[in-house]
Amino acid sequence: MTTASGELLPYEGASGGSTKQKQGMLKGLLRSQAFFAWMLIAPAALYLMMIVAWPLVETIRLSFTNANIGGESYIGTANYEKLLSSRKFSQTVSRTFYWMFLSVSFKIIFGLIGATLLNAAIPGRAIFRMLVMPPWIVPIAIGCFGWLWLYNGHFGIISGMLQYVGILDGPFEFLAYKNSAFYSAVITDVWVGLPMVTIFMLAAMQGVPRDLYEAAYVDGASRWYRFRRITIPQILPVIITMSILSIIWTFNSFEIIWILTEGGPRSATTTLIIDTYKMAIANFKFGQGAARAVIVVSLLSVFSLVYLFALHQIKKRFGAV
Amino acid sequence: MATLQLKNIVKSFGPTTVLKDVNLAIEDKEFVVFVGPSGCGKTTLLRIVAGLEEATQGSILIDDEDVSYAHPIDRGISMVFQSYALYPHLTVYENIAFPLRVAKRPEAEIKERVNKAASILQLEERLQFKPGQLSGGQRQRVAIGRSIVRNPKVFLFDEPLSNLDAALRGDMRVELSKLHRSLDTTMIYVTHDQVEAMTMADRIVVLNGGVVEQCGTPMDLYLHPRNKFVAGFIGHPKMNFIPAIVSRVEAHMLHVQLKDGGTMSIAIETTGLMAGDNVDVGIRPEHVQLDESGPISMEVDVLERLGASSIAYGKVQSNTTFCASLPGLADIKENSTINLSVKPEDAYVFNSKGEAQKRLTVLELA
Repeated sequence: MTTASGELLPYEGASGGSTKQKQGMLKGLLRSQAFFAWMLIAPAALYLMMIVAWPLVETIRLSFTNANIGGESYIGTANYEKLLSSRKFSQTVSRTFYWMFLSVSFKIIFGLIGATLLNAAIPGRAIFRMLVMPPWIVPIAIGCFGWLWLYNGHFGIISGMLQYVGILDGPFEFLAYKNSAFYSAVITDVWVGLPMVTIFMLAAMQGVPRDLYEAAYVDGASRWYRFRRITIPQILPVIITMSILSIIWTFNSFEIIWILTEGGPRSATTTLIIDTYKMAIANFKFGQGAARAVIVVSLLSVFSLVYLFALHQIKKRFGAV
Repeated sequence: MATLQLKNIVKSFGPTTVLKDVNLAIEDKEFVVFVGPSGCGKTTLLRIVAGLEEATQGSILIDDEDVSYAHPIDRGISMVFQSYALYPHLTVYENIAFPLRVAKRPEAEIKERVNKAASILQLEERLQFKPGQLSGGQRQRVAIGRSIVRNPKVFLFDEPLSNLDAALRGDMRVELSKLHRSLDTTMIYVTHDQVEAMTMADRIVVLNGGVVEQCGTPMDLYLHPRNKFVAGFIGHPKMNFIPAIVSRVEAHMLHVQLKDGGTMSIAIETTGLMAGDNVDVGIRPEHVQLDESGPISMEVDVLERLGASSIAYGKVQSNTTFCASLPGLADIKENSTINLSVKPEDAYVFNSKGEAQKRLTVLELA
């Protein structure tokens, strides 16, 4: 401990302590930085406890019951056993991962291409940069309704265009067939998520010192070589971060699928999160829904841990993100 | 073997012209330093030589071949950047090997050349380190190593020592001079520091406002600056200028009345001067002596004792700032007035246009 003047004092609690000393300790505690810090975050911490911790505990509890609109009773791990043995559920899990893989891959690949183009010294670059933003600015629901129209067989521009160029013979409802509905949902999800990935990658690219490119240019490195050996390694921390964050966001993505297809047709676009919602909210099977929610949370926790680990590794290797 | 010629180089960025008709011929194996204040166009000129900028007009010839539009790699140049431009994600070995990898050289050759460069630059122990783990001086050497492995015809250095501390800068100056001797190639070096220019250059090119003010050996520039700018730029501490009026003109002797009131006789070529002309008398701080009957009366504001010398900063009576470099133990104090004199052959004279009057040679002085 130190006095106000910075002089070192023996630790007060070390001698066992009289009442006076204990009072001193209490005062010290009240004055300590840690206590002050706890006081500052206490309201937020309490709020989080209320809206996150309690519902989480409640969800876990519900997952061991057969709770529905009529009541609930404890059934042990029956919900989980049912889920793990269900072929439909395993299909939903693999569909979710496939959905996630496609969407994240496209976001990262197109984000990289988009950022590279926006970073290039092309005329009207500022206009292109502005054009990237709308999917991000427009509320997701409104954007999705726009896509609903685009995918419509009779009024939609996509079907119309494809008929015009002769690829389609007649109107095609993109959201009415299993495969086309799934890939349409992927396209919309990429459309919504791409701007953020692009902007982050663009920011990372702009942070690469110009000298590095000039030095490589003087050494005879081609554009592609410079991109491969300088840009990619330099923005790797951002690529990793954005990939993991996109995995989490895409896994969690609910409103896009719900607005476009509500998980259909015939479950073709039902991901884990949609399945959970349908079970718990639409079918009122709270217990089974809660079991699914617990699995979703567990998977998300794994992703988050991977993210935190990656962030730590990136900081260790590159110094900053 | 590499000569370099710059012919009528003009460079404009929009309406701003930063280089105005620069002409220069650099000999084989010469160490040429471009020096000048910030914004004088020296780095732009180097970048034009490197091929990183295109000249608006004019041509660049390396070994008499016009390379004005050639890619840097085809010009046979290599460049060391002010920031070193090391690839932070690559090891020292890979940084040095980079140009060879670009050129798709065989692995054995890469290894041999990288190791050779590393041994020249004493980097053998650091080859597996990342740039972030190196000191400023070591990073600098890696950047030089990356240039060396290519065996370029011309080395270009863009203010390579400006990010180092003073002591390291001194060491690196010596190392670069040694490197020039051992590699025996043409080097062009850009700096704003006249000490670097004086110590390393075979020839200095002084640039100001996009124009070559003077080009010559360091001592040539020191002894015979063409104008006030060069005289003020070359030499440390900077040359003092005292306004004066010509009182009498002889063949090799100019008598002037200083604005202070003192009079001076200066052994100099007097062509073009007449009694009554306004001139500036240039006096290098290291050329003054304490002299009670000296014509220059100086009020000392600040005194820096450097050991070997004492630098006095102050004003002369014409309210012109003045600096005097005196012996280390000189008996002077701050806030006192001292009198100084200069030998007639040590002073410089600049006419009203700022052009230097020709100084007398040793023979003429004799």
